[in-house]
Amino acid sequence: MAVGTTRIIIWDWAVRLVHWLMVLLVPALWWSAEQGWMDWHQRFGLTLLGLVLFRLFWGFFGSRTARFVPMIRQLGALPAYVGKLSGGGGKAHFGHNPLGTLSVFALLLAVGAQLGTGLFTVDVDGLESGPLAIFVSFDTGREFADIHEFNFNIVVGLVVLHVAAIAFYYFARRDNLVGPMVTGRRAQSDFAAGAPQEIRVRPIAFVASALLSVACVYAVLNAG
Amino acid sequence: MRKIGITRIALAFAAVAMLSACGQDEEAAAPAGGDTAAAEASTEVKAQIEARQAQYKKIGGAFKTINDNLKSGSPDIAAIQAAAASLPEIAATMGDWFPEGTGPESGVKTEALPAIWENRADFDQKIAAFQAAAANLNTVAQGGDVAAIGAAFGATGGTCKACHDNFRLDD
Repeated sequence: MAVGTTRIIIWDWAVRLVHWLMVLLVPALWWSAEQGWMDWHQRFGLTLLGLVLFRLFWGFFGSRTARFVPMIRQLGALPAYVGKLSGGGGKAHFGHNPLGTLSVFALLLAVGAQLGTGLFTVDVDGLESGPLAIFVSFDTGREFADIHEFNFNIVVGLVVLHVAAIAFYYFARRDNLVGPMVTGRRAQSDFAAGAPQEIRVRPIAFVASALLSVACVYAVLNAG
Repeated sequence: MRKIGITRIALAFAAVAMLSACGQDEEAAAPAGGDTAAAEASTEVKAQIEARQAQYKKIGGAFKTINDNLKSGSPDIAAIQAAAASLPEIAATMGDWFPEGTGPESGVKTEALPAIWENRADFDQKIAAFQAAAANLNTVAQGGDVAAIGAAFGATGGTCKACHDNFRLDD
């Protein structure tokens, strides 16, 4: 990176924080489940539920590159984007590229399904259960447990794919996507001329999204 | 610096993927081992195994009822009492649910480990501990004191775990 290059923010701090907390929490959830530390599994799970809900609200109220609607709009450009991938070079997308958009939605969906089934899951002994399992029978809770166990493989598969894609960008396209996800910044020269301005986080939008997601988690906890 | 970052993350996830794969191998390996002799006896053995699984599901259902009510702000004591009363009845014959030949060597899918028949005395002792705890839970439940029920329920759950740790395939 040449000295003096202007670096502009493309990922707001909330997006980055949620992303890296997910990176910590998914392995922590797996590990706590393997060890049978179900009280920790539940705490981690509710934390991740709050983060995923926050990310969903942030997809509507967040900064420009966090929002879902522009991401969905550009999915039409997916075939053209994939076609050019092997060519290398080219200017970077300001925000999610069409493939990254797919990755975001697939991961949110899979993790969301994992959280949703976990809420209703009952363990084989009827001794441990998710906070909403009170609304289902033992047998139904066991079915949720089976889906919860199976779906984890999908989560792992998507994570592996996600990491592989980032490795591909790094090695095959010499495009470091991890750095901007840490610092939020990227060299302005990476983008096409007339590139967009920096993104902005509206404090009120953050407070609203955070309150909404905390309220949802609170409601889940007190539903019994 | 960035290269280290990406390598570290990739390694962490590779480790996660591999470790979870290990868990699956363990599970997949267990129900194997059926042979022709076992296949002949399998109708009866299969029925025995399925019957005991149904009994354990009843216990699980009763536990869930008690657990749900203990966790709720306004526990339904009558529901707890009914569930607690069913436990000693179901558990009374538990020692007979594991005749020789109803382990994984039968080829029937079961989480019962061969250790049951290798350490039968210990296994029977664990069952007796559960039966005593369940009887006590029932007595306490009929008293209606929620805090005392919670303690007795915890103790009963402990006897389940004590046995499952050594004699049931890790789920």
